[in-house]
Order: sequence, then structure tokens, then C-alpha cells
Amino acid sequence: MIKNYFKTAWRSLWKHRVVSFINIGGLAVGMAAAVLIFMWVQNEFNFDGYHPNADNIYRIKNHLSIDKRTTWIWENSSYRMGEETSRQIPEVEKVTRIRPLNYAPTYFKIKGEFFPEKDVALIDSSWFDVFDYEFVSGGPEAFNSEPFSLILTESKAKKYFGNKEAVGQIIHIDTLDYKVQGVIKDIPANSSFTFDVLAPIASRRANPKEKENEMQWGNFYYITFLKLNPHSNTKKVAKKIETITAKARETNNLAISLTPLKDLHFESGLQNTALRQGNKRAITVFGALGVFLLVIACINYVNITTARASLRAKEVSIKKIVGAGRGTLFMQFVAESMVISLFALIFTVIIISASLPWFNNFTGRNFTLDPGNISLLVVVLGTLFFAVVLNSIYPALLLSSFKPLNTFRGISVLKLNDATLRKALVVVQFSFSILLIVGVITIYRQMSFIRSQNPGYNRSQVLSFGLPFRRFFRTITDEQRASTTQSIKNDLKALNMVTNVSLMAMSSIQNNDGQSSGGLDWDGREKDFDPAMAYFQVDADYMKIVNMKLKEGRWFDEGRKFDRKNAILNEAAVKELNLHKPYIGQRLVSRGDTGQVIGVVKDFNFKSLHEKIGPAIIKLDDYYSTDYLIQVAPGKQAEAIKGIQKIWDKYCPGDPFNYTFLDQEFDNMYKEDAKVSGLMSVFAIVAVIISCLGLFGLAAFTAEQRGKEIGIRKVLGASVSGIVTLLSKDFIYLVLISLVLASPLAWWLMNKWLQNFAYRAELQWWMFAMAGIIAIVIAFFTISFQAIKAAVVNPVKRLRSE
Amino acid sequence: MLSLQHISKYYQTGGNKTFVLNDLSLDIDQGEFVSIMGPSGSGKSTLLNIIGMLDEPTDGYHYFMDEPVHQLKEKQRSALYKQYIGFVFQAYHLIDELTVYENIETPLIYQNIKGAERKALVADMLDRFNIVGKKDLFPAQLSGGQQQLVGIARALIGKPKLLLADEPTGNLNSKQGEDIMELFKKINKEDGVTIIQVTHSEKNAEYGSRIINLLDGRIESTTTL
Repeated sequence: MIKNYFKTAWRSLWKHRVVSFINIGGLAVGMAAAVLIFMWVQNEFNFDGYHPNADNIYRIKNHLSIDKRTTWIWENSSYRMGEETSRQIPEVEKVTRIRPLNYAPTYFKIKGEFFPEKDVALIDSSWFDVFDYEFVSGGPEAFNSEPFSLILTESKAKKYFGNKEAVGQIIHIDTLDYKVQGVIKDIPANSSFTFDVLAPIASRRANPKEKENEMQWGNFYYITFLKLNPHSNTKKVAKKIETITAKARETNNLAISLTPLKDLHFESGLQNTALRQGNKRAITVFGALGVFLLVIACINYVNITTARASLRAKEVSIKKIVGAGRGTLFMQFVAESMVISLFALIFTVIIISASLPWFNNFTGRNFTLDPGNISLLVVVLGTLFFAVVLNSIYPALLLSSFKPLNTFRGISVLKLNDATLRKALVVVQFSFSILLIVGVITIYRQMSFIRSQNPGYNRSQVLSFGLPFRRFFRTITDEQRASTTQSIKNDLKALNMVTNVSLMAMSSIQNNDGQSSGGLDWDGREKDFDPAMAYFQVDADYMKIVNMKLKEGRWFDEGRKFDRKNAILNEAAVKELNLHKPYIGQRLVSRGDTGQVIGVVKDFNFKSLHEKIGPAIIKLDDYYSTDYLIQVAPGKQAEAIKGIQKIWDKYCPGDPFNYTFLDQEFDNMYKEDAKVSGLMSVFAIVAVIISCLGLFGLAAFTAEQRGKEIGIRKVLGASVSGIVTLLSKDFIYLVLISLVLASPLAWWLMNKWLQNFAYRAELQWWMFAMAGIIAIVIAFFTISFQAIKAAVVNPVKRLRSE
Repeated sequence: MLSLQHISKYYQTGGNKTFVLNDLSLDIDQGEFVSIMGPSGSGKSTLLNIIGMLDEPTDGYHYFMDEPVHQLKEKQRSALYKQYIGFVFQAYHLIDELTVYENIETPLIYQNIKGAERKALVADMLDRFNIVGKKDLFPAQLSGGQQQLVGIARALIGKPKLLLADEPTGNLNSKQGEDIMELFKKINKEDGVTIIQVTHSEKNAEYGSRIINLLDGRIESTTTL
């Protein structure tokens, strides 16, 4: 019996190859998109759960109140806090710390060549007792016994040592030799800790100055994890830590809370984090998208199958007359949809494996198609099951319900309901497609709006680099530093492909983390008002490169001695401080200098457009400036870099030269947005393709069904275009209805998305019209292919076959 | 074997009743070969369909093998016809996706007969109808006469007591038609299968033992040959 089901199913598939191809293709594309998304969603919601003690591990979170209005929330704690916590609190079974070094690359020096490594962290000796890592070779014992040890992941070991045994190899970092003591499996896709190079904290503490620095209660360097006894009261533990720190620091401006390990991934409110975090909202949105794509792919199958039901009716009726029960027929159609879904699954797997590198790049995870991966299997089979259920129930019920005699008599088996349902389903598909198209238009417009915000300079002609911290801060005096940086600046200026050079004390022009708390004073300040500001520490040449617009007053003048103490504010800062008019000449104390406000610049975007322009203060700085902003003559980028490299080698021999063009930096800032827009476009295209496949199938069916009518009309003198219109009209109506339904929803959703930006390109009516036109044009081309094919057939042929 | 009493079938159109069958009574015994004749629209096919339980009368009593069909539920009815009745159609109605062999086998599958037994039964049937060589062909590859032969083989494979044929030779040429009629006669005589056929052809009607002439939903005359 079962064999018979599948045999008939297979033959019927083969006989209607085009329809089968549409069904399978659409389903495969939809399933592939859905599986990818579900893989990601499933992974995001299962972060860090794989550590055996995950339920008892917590991270200390520090809430430092700065003034009445601001509290800074940090994931880092002081070293002493961990120490005292483990000594004084009985609930704490184990304490372990990690110090991520991923704010800047660490350079490995191997055989005289530099390799930047981004994900490097220092860890405690107890790290491996608390967290689960699988060692391929070596182990934690050797690693913990030597301060200058390293643990690498398998891929890193392979990158540096190929197939040679990595354990025992030496890697130079700065001036020290580190020995590889262990190789671990690559970091799983659902781990918050992305670090693929680990070194002991002891390596840092081997330097007595560093050690002393770290032992200060006020230095928050370490993300600290606690393994608590099961059933401990986390609130009580947090209170105890608070009491201990308050006593040690002699202030109680620090509140403590504990975050469960499994909640780290979606934690919000932190000032910044070195761990891998997820955006719950994006994941929910994309999860819904996945379900939708799967549904519209299944709609195709249901629509085409029910549309073709009248063709199957004869077979069903005969089977019923020769004795098939409804149940058996039902099972036959379920088997058919299973065969289709299984075929689709094969293509799905092919599509997924082809698109996985791209998808990994987008999500920043490392998914693999490993058949041993249970959760992957669950996702794939779950999707398959979902598809089979959606695909089988309605068509199978419909097809098995035919009354045999009706079909022989030529009475249409399709009641109005089925046709209406089919139309409704097409409307659902196209509404969704239009929604996505509007989404893509909105996102692209916003992205180009961001790009078009004129910074006053050509981003591709400005680059920045910083001098090595170790060489310029640990060993030399302020005066030495100032004179060296000045001579480097002069050398750079002397290069003829360089037009301007500015020396500054901030690693980048995009001042994302230069927020500095308080310390300002001016006339009319309220007693407890101590606002935070973005600090720009620059030289007088800065203005030549970035073209800030002065609104009032003047820019810094190298020649005036007192300008070192003076400051320039942006408009937002003037407002924030509530300065009295006239602004110019007001007394302003900043960073210990008492000076005047000498100028006000127009607000400029120094952060991403997601955020409102905040208050900024610009000051001159010589002593601590070790970063350069360089404007290069157009088209001379490559030459300029060669020249700069020479100067670098003169002043910093043996150190790796690392520079960024501002356009790269700019792109980095909107990386997440670019990813979202990329993914949205891909899914919009997928949705449109699937919907069009369905429409193509339906149009083919209609053309076939109305073959006789077309023949008669042609004999009576209808033109080809008349017949194409006749066949297309109904479908175009459906797309129009979809447009009407989708527009309000799209408007609401995209408005919500735009709220993420402080500065945005608002929605316009023409965006909806454009989405509608795109959908209609695509739909029309899809249909007209079939319609023209039907219209040009010689009518005699049509009528004869009746 | 079969008794129809006061059977009517009508459709309500506006205030009027349009009768397809009008108070018709008919008894058929085991082993008969009945031909039903009449002009288009006289109710031949409807009568046949009611006998085959594919259609229900609006009024009247219908007994088959001593069961009151008019009182049975859909499921019981289909169990009854599955067991006792075979159908042959003018347009053959073979399943295009199945081979000759599989078409004949289909009813057995639905009767849950085991694979080995099915094989034997189908082989017998192919042998008897001289179509062994065509067993792997699909319907589209056969001539009309051959297709009808397969249709009859399929109708007979379940060993029905009653064979209903709706213009079985309507789509065939006269030579093919004659062969089919001879076959029907043989089945009727040798296997004792009761046959009721609807036909337009006097000549074919005469193969039967009784001819019933219908007109406007009533039996106009009955001729016993």
C-alpha cells in the first residue's frame, strides 16, 4: 500500500514536471531561508547553556552613580572585589575573572612578521574549573603553572603552525616570549566568549607596576564570574558584595547586581561590552520572517495543488469507485506532499551549504552543516514537518472529498470557496512581498541618507593611525613625548602627497567612547550638576581637515599661549550647560584648566546617526597626543602610505604599522545596519521569487483551464493583447489588494524601525507606490509569460483537443 | 438480487420538479444480463448509477442482496458496492499514471489483499484477457478496445456479483464492440456474473437476456429474449 502511494506520487510528479519544479523549487528556497533563520534564532536563545554549571554562574554587574542623573553600568569589576568576594562570602563556590583585550589588536610576532589578533583575553587559573572547554592537546595545568602561556583554538593553531603540533611553540608578544600550552576546540557559535587566544592574568601581573595598578579598588578591569552554591539567594550575595566594596572604597556610590550567565547574551544597559551580544528584537523580527517565508512557500504548494485538483479529480473518482476509502486517498496525498517536501529538502540542504559562508559572515557566528548536531537536526526536521503538515492537510482533505459522480459529469469540483481561498492566499503572499519591498526601500533610503551627511571632507582621503602605547607612555617623559610627536608631525607634513596633518589625543574622529565625566565648572552652574561631555583633544590643524563650521567666536591659534586653557563648545554643549549670553568669553573650567569659551561650532555628527548629537568640548592638547589624522592628496593614497610607513619605521622600528581610512571606520559604524539591510534585501528577493513562482503556476493553470475559451475568443477575433489582458487582469487585482493591505502595516513597522535613528529619512508616499509598481510589474511579467503562450496558440489546435 | 421500488429522482427548478426517474420499479435476479436502452435524457445512466450506489434516489426503496440500501449509511453502502459491484465506463476511466498491471491491481489494494495473492489474481486476469504482453504499458499506449479490456479486467478482479456497464462500447468501433459484447456474454454464462449495461445499440442490447426501454424516467417496455 505505502509503496503504491509513493509510486503514484512519483509518477504524478514526473508527469507534471513544470509544476513539480515550481513546487519543489519554491519550497526549497523557502525552507532554506527558514532553516537558516531558525538555526540562528535557536542558537541565539541557547547562549552559554552548554556549560555544565550554567545555572549557577553569575557575572557581577557594577552600577556606578556619577551624578544625580547618570549611572554608568559596567560589566567590569575591580580585581580586589573578586578576591574579597571569594574570601568573605560563603555562598560563593568559585570566582573567576577574564580581562578581554579586544579593544585593540594584539600583535603576534612570528619569524619577524606581525599578525594582528583581535580576540585575545587574559584569564584566571580557575577559568577552566568554571567554564567548559574541550582541549585537543595540552591542558589547563601546564597553562596555569607558567605566567607566559597561551591557549589557542584549533583554527588559530592551524593558522600559525599548520599541521605541526602547536603545544610547545613560542609566540612573541611585545617583547616577551609566550609558550603555547594548549589547543582547544573552536569556540561554539553559542558562546558569549569569542576569545580564541587566551593567556593567564599572571602574565600581566608579572609586571609589578601593573600589579599595583590593578590592586586599586577604583580600577575596573575584570569581568568577574561567580559560581554560587545551588539555591543561593543572588540578591543577598549582591548585597554582601556591595557592603564589602563600600567598606573598602569608603563611598557607597557603587551598586551591585548579579546577571545569570544565560542572560548575558541579551543583557542591555551596559555602557559597553567585550562579550558577544545579541539583539533580541532583530532576532524576533527575523524569526517571524522565517516563519513567514516558510508559510508563503507552502502557500504555493497548496495553491497549485488545489488549483490542479480538477485534473486529479478523475483519478480520485476512479479510485473511489474501485473501492478506495477516504482515508486511503487522504494518505496518498499526504504521501505526495511528503515526496515533494523530501525533494525540496535535498535542494534545501544544497542551498544552505552554498549560502552558509555568507550567512556566517552576516550573523558573525560559525554554523556548520554537521549531521551530528542535534539542534540542527531538530531545526531541519521541524521545518520539514511544518512544511508537510501545512502542505498536506488542506489539499489532501479537498482532494479526497470529491464525490465521484460529479467529476464524471463535468460539474466543477471546485466550489467557489476554494477559488476564493486561493485568491486570499495569493494576497497573503503578495502583501508579505510588498511589505518586504517597502522595508528594503526604507532601509536603503536611510542608509544613503546616512552616507550623504556631508562631513566636510572626503572620507577616502583621510586616514588615521596611533603611535604604540608601550613605546610612548611607559618609558618616556611628557616633554620627550611632545617633542617626538611634533617631529613626526613635521616629517609627515614634509611628505608631498600629504596635504594636512593633525596631531590629536583620540584614536579616531568618530568619538564614540570619549565620554568623560564631569569636572566642568562655569558661571551659573547648579551645585550638583556635573554633566558628562565628549572630549576632543586636538591641535590647531584639526580644523583644516574636518571643516567644522564656526558659529561664533574663533578657532584655536597656535601662537596664543592661553589657548591651551581655552575651549570650544558645540551647540549642544552650550545648551546642556545652559550658558549665559554672550557665550564667547565665558569662564570655563575643564580638566583642571581655567580658561574661556573662545568659540562655538555647529553641531556635527561625531557618533553614529542612531544617536542624537551630544554635548562636545574641544581643547588643544600636546602632551598626550599620539594619534595622527592625515589628509592625503586625491589619488595618492598608496604613495602616501609608503611614505608614512617610512617615517613610522624611523620612529617605531619593529612595531607593526596599522592605519585606517575614515571611510572604513565609517562603514564599521554602520556594519550592523548594513547587515540588516543586506539580509532584508535577500529575503525580500526570496519572498518575491517564491510568490512569483506560485503566480506562475496559477497562471499556467488558468491558461490551461481556459484553453477552450481562449480558442473560441480567438476565432471570434480577439487579439493576442486582448487575451493577455483577459488572463492577467484578475491577478493584477489581487496584487493591488495586497498593496492596500500591506501599506499600513509596512508604514507602521518601518516607522518603528526608523525610530532607531535620531536622524532619519522619513517615509514618503511614493515609497509605497514604488513597492506596488515593482510588485505589479514583476507579477505582470510572470503572468504574461503564460498568457502570451496561451494566446499565440493556433485556436484550431485548442478546439480540436476538446 | 436487486429490487427497486417506486424510485424517483428529481431536481427542483423554481417551482417545478424535473423528473429524471419517475416512480420506477424494477427487479433483477442473479445471473441475468440486462440491457437498458432509451433516448438521451431518458434516465438510463441515472438508473445505473443508483443501482451502483454512486447516486441516491430522491424517493423510493432500494434493496440489494437483501440489504435496504436506502437506509444504509454512506460507509456501509460503499462497503457493499466495494464487495459486490464492478463498474465499466464508456470512457474507460483508467488511471493514466498507472500501468495496465497496476490499474488492474488497484481494487485489490483497497481490499487489503496481500501482495502475493494480488500478483496471482492479476496474472490470472491478464492471462484470461490475453494482455500479458501489455502489462507494463500505460493506458495512453493502448487502443480504445484494449483500454476497455483493461477496464473490464479491473472491474472483474474483485470477483463482483454484479457488473454495471455504462455504454461500454460507445467509444469503440464495431469490431471492438463485438469483442467486448462476446466477452460480456462469456462472463455472464461462465462466471455467473449478473450484468446490467446501458447501450444505444440495438445489436449490442440483444446480447442480453432482457431489454428494458426507458422513456422520460419510466420503463416504457420490457422485452425478454
